Amino acid sequence: MSTDQLAGRPTRRPRPSSPAAGTRGRPAGGRLSLRQRRAGAFYLFAGPWLLGFLALTAYPLGYALWLSFTNSDGLSPHVSFVGLANYREVFTDPDTMASLGRTGLFTAITVPLSIIGGLLLAVLVNQPIRARGLFRTLLYLPAVVPPVGAALTFKLIFDRDSGAVNGFLDLLHINGVPWLVDPYARWVLVALTMWAVGNVMIISLAGLQDIPKELHEAARVDGASPWQSFTRITLPLLSPVIFFQVVTGIIGALQSFAPLLIAINPTPAGVTSVPESNYFYMIDVFAQYFANGRYGYASAMLWVLFLVIILITFLLFRLSRGAVFYSVEPESAQTKRRTIGGA
Amino acid sequence: MVLSRRTATYMLLVACLVLFLSPFGWLAVTALKAPAELRALPIHWWPHQPDLANFQDALTAFDYLGYARNSLTISVTYSVLVTFASAWAGFGFARLEAPGKRLIFGVLMSTMMLPAVITLIPTYLMFAKLHLLNTYMPWVLWGLCGAPYLIFLFRQFFVNMPKELEEAAIVDGCGTIRIFARIFLPQSWPVIATSLILSFAWTWGDYIAPALLLDDDHTTLAVKLATGYVNAHGEPLSNLVAAGAVMYVLPVLALFLIMQRGFVAGVATSGLK
Repeated sequence: MSTDQLAGRPTRRPRPSSPAAGTRGRPAGGRLSLRQRRAGAFYLFAGPWLLGFLALTAYPLGYALWLSFTNSDGLSPHVSFVGLANYREVFTDPDTMASLGRTGLFTAITVPLSIIGGLLLAVLVNQPIRARGLFRTLLYLPAVVPPVGAALTFKLIFDRDSGAVNGFLDLLHINGVPWLVDPYARWVLVALTMWAVGNVMIISLAGLQDIPKELHEAARVDGASPWQSFTRITLPLLSPVIFFQVVTGIIGALQSFAPLLIAINPTPAGVTSVPESNYFYMIDVFAQYFANGRYGYASAMLWVLFLVIILITFLLFRLSRGAVFYSVEPESAQTKRRTIGGA
Repeated sequence: MVLSRRTATYMLLVACLVLFLSPFGWLAVTALKAPAELRALPIHWWPHQPDLANFQDALTAFDYLGYARNSLTISVTYSVLVTFASAWAGFGFARLEAPGKRLIFGVLMSTMMLPAVITLIPTYLMFAKLHLLNTYMPWVLWGLCGAPYLIFLFRQFFVNMPKELEEAAIVDGCGTIRIFARIFLPQSWPVIATSLILSFAWTWGDYIAPALLLDDDHTTLAVKLATGYVNAHGEPLSNLVAAGAVMYVLPVLALFLIMQRGFVAGVATSGLK
């Protein structure tokens, strides 16, 4: 650490020849101008993102907040302020609440399933076996299929008459069902989501490979069973990775609009062809927005979703204290040391 | 005991593989079936007369190549721009210091939590006001700003590079931009590969943004594919859907398979450390 500083400082001091310091007539090599120049360099690099964030994220976010207090329909020039009316409606409309409930159920089913499934797959492809690189690649492959392609594929597989699933059931002398309508459509969606479990697998795998081998070897020497070794060493050391996936998984599932792609008739009115059991919150947003032109109400719905996500994330971080085990020192100390100048 | 455990592992893996790859198989089989065979009962597991005509028809039922060109234009433009812009910002967050940096980094990280859909409606209204609907400018703008997740990937990678690299360059009189362009960027090829694949796949697969911002002529394959193959009664032509989907999915799979070494390295080295 101290050698870094010793090596760093003197090399930069005698650089009064640098154009920024020279041409603007600041005290050459003075501490202030050096610091300013360093800060300038940071803002030069972070600037494009920062500008983009302000214009393309922060501004639309604020705009959405404003819209949510109005009755805007996007067309009529007469937009009036309606206060909290939209929000009141979100929480009192039984249809909206039902769609939120269905989305919650879908999240509660798919997030644990994909995390457990992805972790098991990661453990499996982390075994010392032949061609494991090939196994990893092929199991990950479905995760790179574009959503529309995956939805079309699953529509073909679960087709009532020409689909492979009912064909397979027929071989077992079981009568097939119309999978793409209520009440079965929900399970098609779960299957579609699980097909991309390779995403969880690959991140868990990276986590598994970070666990020092010596820990497992020491445990084996001490007479631990593989199961003990897994629950006492692997799981605790993997807990930050699992926690990260729980958080991102929930956020992703709550925003899912996959049913729209399965219904695949995404004309403005097409949202109505989504089976009821798959009529998710986001589908309701699209319906309000496209079919009903209720920009104000749809914006309020999205802001409610945003607040729900913030609340869930906050609760998860709260609950995870003690359950998530961080073995490494907080990163910031390390980061500071490695930045230019290390100010 | 050891042998049986190994055998069990292989059996489980092969079972998973069959389960995960069979949808691709069914897509291919359906794409080769003649219309009459689609309705055959019991189901034909393999087309009796495999026919490539579906692919021909899928290309001509609508201007498939035209829409593919739209998708390609958007995806390549966005992925190249966003990869460079994210590396640029990631370098700043990893190796430079300034007052306010911690706060800005906090904002960056929290935008990853932000549901993208929330800005959907205002973004549409904003681009409508700027007369950017039915143009590809939104993707250029999004690309130039970088994407938080990719910025984070690059930052994680750059943070872990040894300090001696840039110290030597500073001694030689290199400026910050040259240090980034000549030393850090060339070293980061696994992250560049990851970023290119991810961002290409996002844009090629994205449904909402093109459906919202582009009209029927300018839209992408993802949107057109969803509605393009129906008969006069509005019923889907499954074999054409399958053929069209095969040609739509293959480029992404091919890109992944070609670049996957770099991709896996990118996730493993910088994803979560």
